[in-house]
Amino acid sequence: MTVFHSESAAARGLAICHGCDKLQPVASIHCGRCGATLHLRKPHSVQRTWALTVTAIFLYLPANLLPMMRTSGFGGGEEKTILGGVVLFWEHRAYPVAIIIFTASVVIPILKLIAIVTLCLSTRSCSQPRAMTRLYRLTELIGRWSMVDVFVVAVLVAVVQLGSLMSIEPGPAAVAFAGVVVVTMLAAMSFDPRLLWDAANRPTIQP
Amino acid sequence: MPGLAVGQSVICPHCAARLQTFRPNSLHRSAALAVSAASFFFVANFFPFIELKAGGQSTRIILAQSVSALQAHGSPWLALAVAVFILGAPTISICGILYVLLPLLRGRTLPGAIHVCRWVYGSDPWNMIEVFLLGVLVSLMKLGDIATVTLGISFWGFTGLIICLTASLAAIDRHELWHRLETLRS
Repeated sequence: MTVFHSESAAARGLAICHGCDKLQPVASIHCGRCGATLHLRKPHSVQRTWALTVTAIFLYLPANLLPMMRTSGFGGGEEKTILGGVVLFWEHRAYPVAIIIFTASVVIPILKLIAIVTLCLSTRSCSQPRAMTRLYRLTELIGRWSMVDVFVVAVLVAVVQLGSLMSIEPGPAAVAFAGVVVVTMLAAMSFDPRLLWDAANRPTIQP
Repeated sequence: MPGLAVGQSVICPHCAARLQTFRPNSLHRSAALAVSAASFFFVANFFPFIELKAGGQSTRIILAQSVSALQAHGSPWLALAVAVFILGAPTISICGILYVLLPLLRGRTLPGAIHVCRWVYGSDPWNMIEVFLLGVLVSLMKLGDIATVTLGISFWGFTGLIICLTASLAAIDRHELWHRLETLRS
């Protein structure tokens, strides 16, 4: 059973509506303004976040190991993974593009997964709730930018259809990678940052 | 919530998040920007987006073909995702804001306005038009070596859409909007 901070609204039985931000007694069950169900904390927040994070980790493997797109033309065909694409840009001295793709497709997803796992673990005991809440907001903010590589595939597939000269097909990694981004976004949404403050407020049990 | 003066904001004492800032004429401004966003959205969808020329052949695509091409090349799920991120979510945002705000500014509400409002805020995280623009720019760098690329009028319409829609959503004072919807209903 969670013990809420004595000055908090939750301790007074007040909940903020997740739909429209109206503060009202949680006992009324449904929001008087927009009709959403009221909760003091997002229901099963940590379990849902864990489940979605594990899903994302599993999807992350095919997203990186399988080809993102297939290029075919009279010079033969070739398949490129995400990292393969980054290396190709680097070799062509297109350093800014290589850095953008590497950051969006490799660094951000990994950092995001690490951040969500850290946040989930911090709901057990948390000594720096303010820093952790900042981490949460950052995680929510940057997640979407990972989708860049999927959009690159979408644009290239549409534009590069030059008959026998050259054509581009989407690879299986593109779906997996889009899945990683969607699932990590859902994981971040289902996490309730107020659990961090509950953990910080919880009296430590002496052994 | 008390009225705020120029430059004032409400900050959470616990986590330092900004809860509310002073936004003059928030609803008028947001509605105006949403009308501009709707016009740009029209331009972005019904004019050529990119033209590519290489070796005597050329292809010209409209924005929606980045979705239909994925479908045609055996990735229906990817097509669906891209359609939601660059077409569906912006449509919900623009139509939703106009549906709620235009009557509200004349002191009226249309049926279901509160639900539409929730849809607008719910669809916002899935609206990835600015990420798509970055994707387009990266693709152009990729194509620069092998072909001549011309940007169509839709590309600039899309850029305008990003600016106006982002500004329109940012201009809304959520507390004011919800409060006015609630007082009008009762």
